[in-house]
Amino acid sequence: MKRKDAAAPDPTAIGDVSSPPFARLPDPASLFSVRSHRLRQLAEASDLAPYLNFVAALAVVQHDIQADLPLAEPPDAGAVLRAREFEMPPLHRHGMEGGETINMIFDRLFAAADAIEKPAPAADALARVVAADPKARLAMADTVLSGSLPADAIAEHIFVWAALQVHFARLASLLDEKKLTPVADGVCPSCGGRPVSSMVVGWPGSHGARFCSCSLCCTLWHYVRVKCVLCGSTKGISYREIEDHGGIVKAETCDECHGWTKIFYQTREPAAEPIADDVASLSLDLLMREGLYHRGGFAPLLAGF
Amino acid sequence: MNMELSRRQFLGAVGAGAAATALGSLGFGEIEAAHAEAIRAFKLVSTTETRNTCPYCSVACGVIMYSKGDRTKGEKAEIIHIEGDTDHPTNRGTLCPKGAALLDFVKSETRLKYPMIRKPGSDKFERVSWDEALDRIVRLMKDDRDANFVERNEAGVPVNRWTTTGFLAASATTNETAWETYKVVRSAGMLVFDNQARV
Repeated sequence: MKRKDAAAPDPTAIGDVSSPPFARLPDPASLFSVRSHRLRQLAEASDLAPYLNFVAALAVVQHDIQADLPLAEPPDAGAVLRAREFEMPPLHRHGMEGGETINMIFDRLFAAADAIEKPAPAADALARVVAADPKARLAMADTVLSGSLPADAIAEHIFVWAALQVHFARLASLLDEKKLTPVADGVCPSCGGRPVSSMVVGWPGSHGARFCSCSLCCTLWHYVRVKCVLCGSTKGISYREIEDHGGIVKAETCDECHGWTKIFYQTREPAAEPIADDVASLSLDLLMREGLYHRGGFAPLLAGF
Repeated sequence: MNMELSRRQFLGAVGAGAAATALGSLGFGEIEAAHAEAIRAFKLVSTTETRNTCPYCSVACGVIMYSKGDRTKGEKAEIIHIEGDTDHPTNRGTLCPKGAALLDFVKSETRLKYPMIRKPGSDKFERVSWDEALDRIVRLMKDDRDANFVERNEAGVPVNRWTTTGFLAASATTNETAWETYKVVRSAGMLVFDNQARV
């Protein structure tokens, strides 16, 4: 067939065909800076500004320390192959013990976070994390990875989670995007983490597709729309949104598992970012808390709602 | 998942204070409380996104229909937007101009909602019941077939043709409906048979 190009266009193609990639890996060099910018932007028009600015400062710290870290080592090729064979995510969530890098990230992130302007409870929590020995830190990391934070130490675990994000985003960025395959519903195909939220994107070539965002390594993975992110059900999916607020964020509820997750519409707000906008849309969590559904996924920055 | 729920229920039951949330734990409890107060007037509304197939042609493009209100929860629903379904393998998010105008099709004032008849000599359509409509169609088809059915051709070969009536089938049908339509129409001897999909 004759080649079709701009000079000889294909008259049969109507509109832009959307061919979303299965996954989009994080780029640590821009990930955290984009997030911090978005948070500052959101803070300008929100009564949550102090918290948004705090989270933005934490993202700046994440950005600053990732730049100075030694190059991450790509995961063992044999292990990646084996993981694929058994439909497991290629990155191991556990087994960080003895890892020099994670301890270095902990040290640097906690040191840099010290300079952030923050309320006393946050400073106290940071002091406790700084004082913790490597073993205790790894125990906290395990708690974060379990996806459920202890109610009496949420702040401490948020700092640990911030460090783990840097660690896992760096590892995930070394994977081969094209070789990732779906692992399970509601599970990140890179690291097995749980989604923080999902987003209908407006990227050229993928417009209208929905991507879940990993709460740990920030990989974005394509997930069919109108389908429960948590349990994979396509029955009983409904959306709740705040009246007259532009429909930028909705709560996707599932009558099968009685869970809900946030879904953002980048088509309506091009700057939307899975974690920044999640924090800024706390009002949806507060209103949904009174309903029958419980929020699924993992969003440490809004833990307890 | 259930563990999460029980933890929250437990905390709710023991009346755990602001410290049980991320904001409270980091010392932003007052901001959280002020925010909760500020959004008191906000109201949640239900919306749905429903997959369907474009009714126009046999390409059968997938569409997502956005509605305000959720009928499954006993509310009134109104379609507010229709777009191509990116996850659908046939059209991958695209729609032709007819499909892109589906919302107007749904809301059209002249849309046919029930059987109507314009009797011979009349200049206007009248509403009739489904029973009346079907009885009349069947009566006319039977009369026409009885009058014009061709059992054998000039050479005496059996042909069983009914050429004076045609059948135009709809496009948004399942394979089963299409199969049944074909069997009914062809076994009645009809030769003039087409599908809306080609229109």
